[in-house]
Amino acid sequence: MSNLVYLLAAYAVFWALTFVLVVSIWARQRRLERELASLAALLEESRK
Amino acid sequence: MRFIRIVWAIVVKDVAAEFHTREMISAMLVFSVLALLIFSFALDLRGAVAQAAAPGVLWATVAFAGTLGLSRSLTREQQTGCIDGLLLAPVDRSAIFLGKALGNLAFMAVVEAVLLPLSSALFDVPLLRPGVLLVTALGTVGYAAVGTLLATIAVNTRAREVMLPILLLPLAIPSLIAAVQATGGLVEGGTLAEVGGWMRLLVVYDLVIVAVSVLTFGYLVEE
Amino acid sequence: MNKDRELLGLLLIILSTVAVLAALGMVFLYAPRETTMGDVQRIFYFHVASAWVGFFAFFVTFLSGIGYLAWAERRWDILALSSVEVGLAFITMTVITGSLWARPVWGTYWTWEPRLTISAVQLLIYVAYGMLRSALENPEKKARLSAVYGIVAFVTVPLSWFAIRWWRTIHPDILTGGGGMAFTPRMGYTLLVSLAAFTLLYVTILRQRIRLERSADALAHLRAYLETNYIGGSHV
Repeated sequence: MSNLVYLLAAYAVFWALTFVLVVSIWARQRRLERELASLAALLEESRK
Repeated sequence: MRFIRIVWAIVVKDVAAEFHTREMISAMLVFSVLALLIFSFALDLRGAVAQAAAPGVLWATVAFAGTLGLSRSLTREQQTGCIDGLLLAPVDRSAIFLGKALGNLAFMAVVEAVLLPLSSALFDVPLLRPGVLLVTALGTVGYAAVGTLLATIAVNTRAREVMLPILLLPLAIPSLIAAVQATGGLVEGGTLAEVGGWMRLLVVYDLVIVAVSVLTFGYLVEE
Repeated sequence: MNKDRELLGLLLIILSTVAVLAALGMVFLYAPRETTMGDVQRIFYFHVASAWVGFFAFFVTFLSGIGYLAWAERRWDILALSSVEVGLAFITMTVITGSLWARPVWGTYWTWEPRLTISAVQLLIYVAYGMLRSALENPEKKARLSAVYGIVAFVTVPLSWFAIRWWRTIHPDILTGGGGMAFTPRMGYTLLVSLAAFTLLYVTILRQRIRLERSADALAHLRAYLETNYIGGSHV
């Protein structure tokens, strides 16, 4: 039944959007933590 | 009552300022007439189709003309710095809000005073009845109130005027649907009782919006 | 303290993954095949669950807005914006899956069915909220003004719901004749599990988003500190 295409598509949408949201947050978090680490290191350097 | 005097003073100030140049009102009027024309051409409004579409076209036009007026009046407020003067005084913030909202309501009323008879003639619908006028009043009150609150927000943004329709229109949906449905019902020969549900929704909307606006406006203008 | 928070975070991730997988299992293996619509009806469970989150998230934003106006603390603003981001994703799911469900059942990708319509309105409100925040620079103003918008916008949603519903009752779509669904207890359980799973998912993702915003704040503070105390030294 071609109707199952819609069922599949709907669940694909659910997974895709959840995935995009989660990965986007995770990627931004990693970038921030990297910057924080490098700045913290810079702080350590300047303190010496 | 000091409160009422302040509200009235603000209304008078705004209306007088506008009366001086009549710039904004003329823009709103010309825009409204043009909008009616565009709708007529775009939707091919003739005969029965025109009569059916009239309430919707009317309110869509009122909504868009309203955003014009609301943006303009708040921008002008910012430019003249009038509101800063008012804020220095120990004036109840809600008085300022009510004054501004009533002023905006007055401007919209002027536009509607032209729009209603014009649409009546153009689309061959009896819009100048007391029922329809009541609906128009109720709808405009809510729209002017929420519009004034949101215009105060929008004027602070980088995008300014452009921001207002985006913020306002989703929030005006209950009022717009109710006003169009009530107007349509009345125009088709229904009684006020028959459109009572819509009227009640309009009243509830107005009360809720005015209450929320009065409560939160102070937070918008604090320094 | 941080270890506890991390532990809770991990626990939530595991719980929500398990819950979602369980719900998925129930949707495809436990829930019965619907009589009129067939298997395509299975979209219903996650569609409704995402709608629940989509609207609940905005309620959270509404409450945080009040919190911010009352106490002017950054954490209320963080909660508000985080909930909007997560809520927007879920309401988008609701609208798209709703549309995908409408097509085989009603023959059209869009119907002004009240629940679908109100979801679209909520989506637009989320977008407006996001655009408002982007258009404001001063962080304090951003927090304050969007708090007010969140509050006003939220109170109009139930009113929009009633207006749209009455509008559709008076003018029902002639096309939406075949929309009935025979509801059985098994479907009820599946729906409940789906709702629970999505709520867990919402809380999990929300916490991660809040954590992200806190990290961004920490970075900004560190930058400011370095700039004020080490000007002329290192280039950050």
